[in-house]
Amino acid sequence: MRPSLENASLSEDPEIKIEQLADLVQRRTPLHLLVHWVAGIRASVHTKLLAAFLIVTGIFVVMALVSLQTLVSTTQQGQSLDEAHELVSLAQQAEHALARQMHYTDLALLSQDEVAIAKILRENNRFNEKLAMIEATGTTDRHLFEQIRSSQDEVMAVVADMANAIRDGKLGTVTGALLRRQEQLDGEITSRVGGLVMAQQNRMARLRESVDAANHRSIILTSVFAVGAVIFAMFCGFVISWSFILPVREAQDFLDKVAAGSFGERISVPNRDEFGVLADRMNHMSRELHRFDTEQRRAAAELGRLNLQLAQTSKEKSDFLANMSHELRTPMNAILGFTEMVLDGLYGDVPAELKEPLADIQVNGRHLLRLINDVLDLSKIEAGRMELALGEYSIGEIIEIVRASLRSLAAEKGLEFAVNVPSDLPVAYGDYGRLTQCLMNLTGNAIKFTRHGRVEIGVELVGSELIYRVSDTGIGIPNDQLENVFKEFRQVDATVTREFGGTGLGLSITKKFVEMHGGRIWVESEFGKGATFFFAVPLRTKGDAE
Amino acid sequence: MSGKTILYVEDNEYNRKIVRRLLGDPSYRLIEAEDGESGVAQAFQELPDLILMDVQLPKMSGLDATRILKADPRTAHIPIIVITSFALSGDREKASAAGANNYLAKPYSPRELLALVRQYLPES
Repeated sequence: MRPSLENASLSEDPEIKIEQLADLVQRRTPLHLLVHWVAGIRASVHTKLLAAFLIVTGIFVVMALVSLQTLVSTTQQGQSLDEAHELVSLAQQAEHALARQMHYTDLALLSQDEVAIAKILRENNRFNEKLAMIEATGTTDRHLFEQIRSSQDEVMAVVADMANAIRDGKLGTVTGALLRRQEQLDGEITSRVGGLVMAQQNRMARLRESVDAANHRSIILTSVFAVGAVIFAMFCGFVISWSFILPVREAQDFLDKVAAGSFGERISVPNRDEFGVLADRMNHMSRELHRFDTEQRRAAAELGRLNLQLAQTSKEKSDFLANMSHELRTPMNAILGFTEMVLDGLYGDVPAELKEPLADIQVNGRHLLRLINDVLDLSKIEAGRMELALGEYSIGEIIEIVRASLRSLAAEKGLEFAVNVPSDLPVAYGDYGRLTQCLMNLTGNAIKFTRHGRVEIGVELVGSELIYRVSDTGIGIPNDQLENVFKEFRQVDATVTREFGGTGLGLSITKKFVEMHGGRIWVESEFGKGATFFFAVPLRTKGDAE
Repeated sequence: MSGKTILYVEDNEYNRKIVRRLLGDPSYRLIEAEDGESGVAQAFQELPDLILMDVQLPKMSGLDATRILKADPRTAHIPIIVITSFALSGDREKASAAGANNYLAKPYSPRELLALVRQYLPES
């Protein structure tokens, strides 16, 4: 099943097949040595490519020159062939003239007419003319011409004798001898001129053969050069491209390893060109990455150790706070408890002059308790150990608790104390205890800082936000101090602390609780006329419990 | 014949003294324990009418003791008022989760404590 799948995928992508084949070739053959050698040449990629192109171009230029030279020689041989052809033609013409001359000679003998003699001379002239033309080319043995000429001279001597005999009317007596002589000469000269024609024809045939051979050679030479140049170009392309492909592959493997987090890897390529420089840079990068990574790990380990230590310290601090909270409150409980019982007469009647100092102990004890609570709360918040206890609660209940707790304090100061709560508020979700503490702090402050007039608690649901409001007609807050009131240990000024008391922590604790609910707190005030503190929390606070 | 029995489990001597004085009324019989374990033992032995249980106790916490007593059929019906160190958020929830009937935050006013006790043990 598997091979067929592979085959299918190979046939689907021929490019991959070719690349695999090329890979196989360069690995299994000595070509890889050459590839490594080319890679190792200390020259730029540009230079290597240029050199390869120049070599291939050079081969083509040489091929072109060889072709040109072949062309020139072919042209020249063509001309020689033409000339040879012409010579053959001349020789044939001469042979023809000779034949006619012989014909007229026979005719002259038969007709005994001087006109025929003139025709013989004319043909003789034509023959001589052609012969001279052939001889002028110098292509034939001079000896043959001499033999032909001497034969011709003898023929002409016979013709002259013949002409004289005709003129003297004694032809009949010489005819026999002349005829024999003439026949002998005719045979001789015909054979010689035939030899000339044959010679010229042979020459032409030899020339044609050599032209054919030269053409054949040039075709082979040109083909060899062309095929050689193509093969060499492919070879150069193969070797040079693999000398680039191999380092690129190495780089890919290297980068994959680095990307997988294996820093400090080294890449090794034989190249001494741009790829070699690139490999050096990558090695440098790898070393640096390794160094950074090691540092980072050490730092992370150190940080983890510190974090653990910090968490331990924080837990110890938190445990300490929880213990302190108990340790401090237990004696406070006893002090306040005994004081209240003494004042309530559980230990018998209290002398009138002791009532005031006992009440002072009670007031200061309560103040000390508030301080302790605030400091412990704030410490817990700062340590990040304060967690909200989210649950369903009734808004009306919170307001009623605050009203009930502070009603008598307001009454003692002669202040009007009002509560303004809509009757149709839904059940809310949040930390009942902490929200009560917030409203208690704000209302306590309002009563504390108001000498005359009224203090009012209100609440209102706006969208999904509950807005609690505590307004008073007290001393108010100067504009430039509005920002500071929520900071720790801040009261408007030191004289205020002396007159009104308080820890200065209540507002900052309130702010933190409100913010832990995902809410916000703010104040509006006109100095000397009073202040209104608002805090808004979601009707349903988001948290783990919901 | 003394009245209702109240078990007060608290390790601090002065706080025990306060309650002793506060509930010194002959209509109550006050018994005391100084740690969680002896508190549980006393409760099983005496089967009091009301238990006041401090949260932070030696040997066994008040919440654990409450859980044990509320899980046992002999003592499950006895009302338990848990006294926490502070009205910390979550303390009230923890106390009611342990089965406490009510809770009081320290420092409490003796008057408040007395009012709560009377709420559970009305004077006849």
